[in-house]
Amino acid sequence: MKAYKMEVRFTILLTALFLLAGNVALVFSIFPVQGNLFGFPIMYIVPILSGWFGILFLTIVANKAGNKIDEEIERENGLLTSTSAETETGKQKKSHNKEGA
Amino acid sequence: MGEEAWQLSNPMLGIGAIVATFILFYVVGYISNRKSSSVTDLYVAGSSIGPLTNGLAMASTYMSLATFLGITALILQLQVPFIMLWIQLILSIPLITIIYGTSLRRMGAFSPTHFIRERYGLSASIIAALFMILVSLMYALGQMIGIALAFETVLGIPYMTGLIVGGLVIVGYVTLGGMAGASNNAAIQMVIIALMFIVPLGAIMKAMGGSGWFFPPLLYSDMVPAMLEAMPNFFDYQFSPKWYVSLIGLTIGSLGLPHLAMRIYTASSLKSARTAMVWFAFIIGLVFSATYAMGFVGVYATETQGVAISAADADKLTLILNLVYNPEWVTALVIAGAISAGLSTLSGNLLAIGALLSQDIVSVLKPDLKVRTRVKLGYAAIFTGGIISILLAINPPAFLVVSILWAFGLAGVTNAPLIIVGVWWKEANKFGAIAASVIGGALYIVVSPFVFPSIVLTGHSVTDGMGLSGAMLAIPVSFILLIVVSYLTNRMPKLSAMLTAKEDHALIERIHGWKDVHPGRYNSTIGAAITVVFFTVIAVWAVMPWNM
Repeated sequence: MKAYKMEVRFTILLTALFLLAGNVALVFSIFPVQGNLFGFPIMYIVPILSGWFGILFLTIVANKAGNKIDEEIERENGLLTSTSAETETGKQKKSHNKEGA
Repeated sequence: MGEEAWQLSNPMLGIGAIVATFILFYVVGYISNRKSSSVTDLYVAGSSIGPLTNGLAMASTYMSLATFLGITALILQLQVPFIMLWIQLILSIPLITIIYGTSLRRMGAFSPTHFIRERYGLSASIIAALFMILVSLMYALGQMIGIALAFETVLGIPYMTGLIVGGLVIVGYVTLGGMAGASNNAAIQMVIIALMFIVPLGAIMKAMGGSGWFFPPLLYSDMVPAMLEAMPNFFDYQFSPKWYVSLIGLTIGSLGLPHLAMRIYTASSLKSARTAMVWFAFIIGLVFSATYAMGFVGVYATETQGVAISAADADKLTLILNLVYNPEWVTALVIAGAISAGLSTLSGNLLAIGALLSQDIVSVLKPDLKVRTRVKLGYAAIFTGGIISILLAINPPAFLVVSILWAFGLAGVTNAPLIIVGVWWKEANKFGAIAASVIGGALYIVVSPFVFPSIVLTGHSVTDGMGLSGAMLAIPVSFILLIVVSYLTNRMPKLSAMLTAKEDHALIERIHGWKDVHPGRYNSTIGAAITVVFFTVIAVWAVMPWNM
């Protein structure tokens, strides 16, 4: 379940961060700010920069995290396979012993 | 400078540029299609496309004529709020990828409707396919208006003649299969679209005296003081936070667009699909930022340079700026770029209509139909879809972007909840899906100004027309219905006996990468309850007065 929890948390958190980075204008519409940045009004240029470089940064994070979660799911799948194989072997051994006895 | 008829004085320049672009796409399409040998090749290019090509193709599929013509027109009309609206549309591919794209790729789905069929059964998938056809038609309508305007500018002919000539040329081209399944073509188109938009924009800025012409997307702050002097309210947000909340409906809408998610299935691996997402964000951010700059420059030209643009010509702003500030051959190239942007999206829309009708509806209802008949039917659907979009464009909405964004909303209501909840919640079932799609979709259509002009939520024509207000109400209703109806029907023995819960659970586990089925996974009642409460609050807020 560790990989599952990781997958769910990662998806919810990243979705929220993506929505935030793409909707900085919503934040500014609630909490307006004054002033300029790089010669533009802050409330104009920050949503544009966040909507490009902010999203780009998050896609890099999502790329790495997504690959890591895939590996984790594979690892847990591997554990599951080896556990069931061990159980199977154990069962076979037991029945072999019984037959032997 | 007074109002005038904006057109190329030498139509041959425009025609030459358009023909050359068509030939280039046809040749690339032909070479790419020669390699296609199976259905998988045709639809998802054998799942073998590399990340950069795929990222470019994703961007090209997403970019439409709206980029060249529509966005700038609405920046002229609404100024900064429209830029803020457009920014969040970059979220489409990243959110599709992390929320459901990789899962559907693991499943081997050809299209979102394919997933809906596997997950909810035939009835739900046919309803979803019918709505998707409407979405694709409205999307195609926006492209068709733009193509008519581009031909009008090239040939100096009336809009109606431009629509019929341009529309028939493009529909004929797509029907004959010029663009089928060519991701390489889409990638080349993206490079052409970017070059034909950004380079001429730099030239326009230089002609206006802007010092940042060498990187137009971000370097135009030296023009800000003059803009503020001429139009002090250009940077004003104008609307309340509620309007900005409603924009998230468009984000959800982009998650339901049928032709976008397809790009994730063309990736050679999940890792490659995720890397393509990074390229997509970089490229689309670049081009989007350039369109904001073009919109800014357009308003700047009208406010400070005396360029007069009538309301009827608003959609031609990009072309007009090029006609005023650049040599005619540059405008010809921009027109060719605009048409190629429209062509790629229109072909995606029409091919989606063909596939939806022949693969997702007719083949499902009549599985014994011969392959040849199905292919013929697909071609007939592509052609008919094209003709319908031409007919709809005869009396178009005021701005071409309006119909495109309305289509986003409809996809967000009828398709996105089914996919998102279907991937993440095992309890979602066909009864919930059908209720969500039918009732949510009908509600969205009823409150749009196109059917009953008197039943609207805000009375602000652009906000209602773009589907912002309708989506803010109908998307939550759709999510609530899907969750509540599924939850209740799962507990009604007569109805639950008609469901395939075991298979559905196995499908969900499999598409997330699991080899076993665990009852604790993707089964959170608390998560579903929180979603219902959250969307109920949003839906109630949507029907309260907007005060616009």
